[in-house]
Amino acid sequence: MAREFQRGHKAKISDLTAGTDLYVGVQISAPGLTFDISCFGLDANEQLSDDRYFIFFNQPKSPEESLQLLGAQAGDTESFRVTLDRIPPQIQRLSFTATIDGNGQMSQIGPGYIRIVAGGEEVCRYSFDGSEFTTERAVMLGDFYLKDVWRFAAIGQGFDGGLEALLKNFGGEVAEEQPQAQQPQAAPSFGAPATPAAPPAFGAPAGGPAPAPAPAPAPAPNFGAPAAPAPQQTPPQPQQPSVHTAPTVVAPMTPPAGTVPPPAPAPGQHAPQPGFGQQPPQQPQFGQVPGQPGAPQGFGQPPGMPQQPGAPAGYGMPQPQPAAGPGLQAALQPYKETATGARWTPQNQQMMRVDLNMGGTPVLARQGSMVMYQGKVDFSYKSAGFAGRIIGNATGQEMQLMRCTGRGQVFLAENGAHLHSIELQGDGICVSAENVLAFDESLQHEVRRIEGHGIPGGALFTMQFQGTGTVVVKTHGIPVVLPVTPTTYADSNAIVAWSSAAQVIISSQVRLRRNSFPGHSGETVNLQFRGAPGNFIVVQPYEV
Amino acid sequence: MMQQLAGYAPTPMQARMENHGRTMLKVAMASGQDLYARTGSMVSYEGFIQYEPNPPAVRQIASQWVTGEGAPIMKCSGDGLLYLADYGADVVVINLNNDSISVNGTNVLAFDAHLQWGVEKVKGMAKFAGQGLWNVEIAGTGWVAITSRGTPLVVDCGRGEDETYVDPDALLAWSPNLKVKGKRSFKASSLVGRGSGEAYQMAFSGQGIVVVQPSEDSSDRLRVRG
Repeated sequence: MAREFQRGHKAKISDLTAGTDLYVGVQISAPGLTFDISCFGLDANEQLSDDRYFIFFNQPKSPEESLQLLGAQAGDTESFRVTLDRIPPQIQRLSFTATIDGNGQMSQIGPGYIRIVAGGEEVCRYSFDGSEFTTERAVMLGDFYLKDVWRFAAIGQGFDGGLEALLKNFGGEVAEEQPQAQQPQAAPSFGAPATPAAPPAFGAPAGGPAPAPAPAPAPAPNFGAPAAPAPQQTPPQPQQPSVHTAPTVVAPMTPPAGTVPPPAPAPGQHAPQPGFGQQPPQQPQFGQVPGQPGAPQGFGQPPGMPQQPGAPAGYGMPQPQPAAGPGLQAALQPYKETATGARWTPQNQQMMRVDLNMGGTPVLARQGSMVMYQGKVDFSYKSAGFAGRIIGNATGQEMQLMRCTGRGQVFLAENGAHLHSIELQGDGICVSAENVLAFDESLQHEVRRIEGHGIPGGALFTMQFQGTGTVVVKTHGIPVVLPVTPTTYADSNAIVAWSSAAQVIISSQVRLRRNSFPGHSGETVNLQFRGAPGNFIVVQPYEV
Repeated sequence: MMQQLAGYAPTPMQARMENHGRTMLKVAMASGQDLYARTGSMVSYEGFIQYEPNPPAVRQIASQWVTGEGAPIMKCSGDGLLYLADYGADVVVINLNNDSISVNGTNVLAFDAHLQWGVEKVKGMAKFAGQGLWNVEIAGTGWVAITSRGTPLVVDCGRGEDETYVDPDALLAWSPNLKVKGKRSFKASSLVGRGSGEAYQMAFSGQGIVVVQPSEDSSDRLRVRG
């Protein structure tokens, strides 16, 4: 089941798993060494333009929690939760890296791996060991990257300079070197000794406990906390020196002398959790007053609040906090249209943009799902044949389509449902007709009917798609993707899609006595799925 | 128990208006800084805040809007913290800095009373969009909160040579300097019940922005409740 990757191998995530809620585990170890495993969320230029997407021990999650650090578990030295469909569009690449904390080199490491687990099942693993490396002190293990769709690549590239080299590579800046004096044994971790003259770019006054306000040097440059003084964020954390020292990247240590920068009277803040960059970057964007005590997340979530993996909605959602900003443009900035070169571009979780100029084939979409378009686009009734066949069944399950042709961009959405674009490359998927929002006309589609007693309306209509193109599926809420096992059942009302190789069986739970209870469970008709391993089903948390 | 709930406690106010979560608006009220809010949108308040439905000033400005039951706006004054929400719709807070924005009437949640504002009926739309489309044009320097069913999207208009067409049900707000006109995309075939489902759009041209929501639910929930 799990695919073994070699260095340089690449694959689409969708080929590995239909899920977008992934667990990424990294195992790396060497006698006597500790490792810092981090995830960089990079933009299209592979730069770390937003340091809130540098996920490491000091910043365990991104603002909208699409990236989360979970800690060591299940045999992994470090693990992450990555929710691909919630990653904001400006993040185009996630790079998972490991750096040695302290002295050492990568050739010392034992067998390790980076693996992707979806729905409790490992779908891909890239194994490596020390023989692939020499004196490197950091290694890029694997990348998720967005090229039309999210893909995974096994990288296995070492970096001599350790974390700084990595950061420099990603356009980040280490705003200040660790003040050596302060943390005698711990600080060096970070490669200071090995590359004493840390690359000039870091502009680090090498060693001296330079007073903080320096870090703003890089206004635009990505990593730099915008003019707001980042430093106070991460006062040195003496309690866990060995681990917590190294990548105090942006937020340099405030020397004990306490040059707390003026605008931020935040001395009482809890130090460790908020991570370095969180608050400062937020500030310029959303105008939060800097130094707001203890509210780095905006909602005042206590930093240590347990993550509830299952319930990502609610509070920590991507909703950026457009709290202020001077002026209209600033307030609306987070909601700007994102244009990429792709034909289908999700604008946010609930809206999809299709560029008809690309590819040239018309798009079929559910009637009424257009919220906006630009350019010369023609909407016409999708004629007869196929649509008629669906509507013809007087079951109330109708699916009316329109054809969008012409040149321009069409924005599709419906009732705030979550949208997911599924790119098919020769494979097939069955989608419950109610959940189809739009698809490329180039796909072959056919309507299937699943009959069964007890299904409302007498039958469940599904559309089977095959070929090359994209299907946009809408779900109410965040769906779950389950592998098909001999005992996989789904409610016929909640099922969204399944891989077309899986076989569907209606299983009715017939209980003789069920009618004797006025309030029987109501869960009487289920669909059972059968199929070879590798098949999956998608279920939404909403019973239509 | 408190520990789990503690995360939802309000954060200290840093500005006049802030989001609490994505769907609740928190306003710091102070005397002399009155606020206009949608009637019925208050979910909670702390302090001494008074509400005046259908105040005279509103009646003057929004006389057109008043359709018998009064303009759906109340004046809030006093000191304290005011929490507003609209049936779980997302709230977007905008700090106008000598800008102006035209907001669909049902999507206005609250705005500072000192802003210049006016109500107008969108030309040409009344004919086909059921109850007619009212919009509130707000200008000046101050705070405005609008609601959106789902995460909104902001699009630049006038980038291409063509106009931007928007489904009126999904329209939230736009720059007032844009030219607006209604467009019917009727075709002969639509008349026999085979439309594309997209019969009317509003066409925007000029330089500015258009904000849309990912939902065609434009119902005014606060008003439906009465």
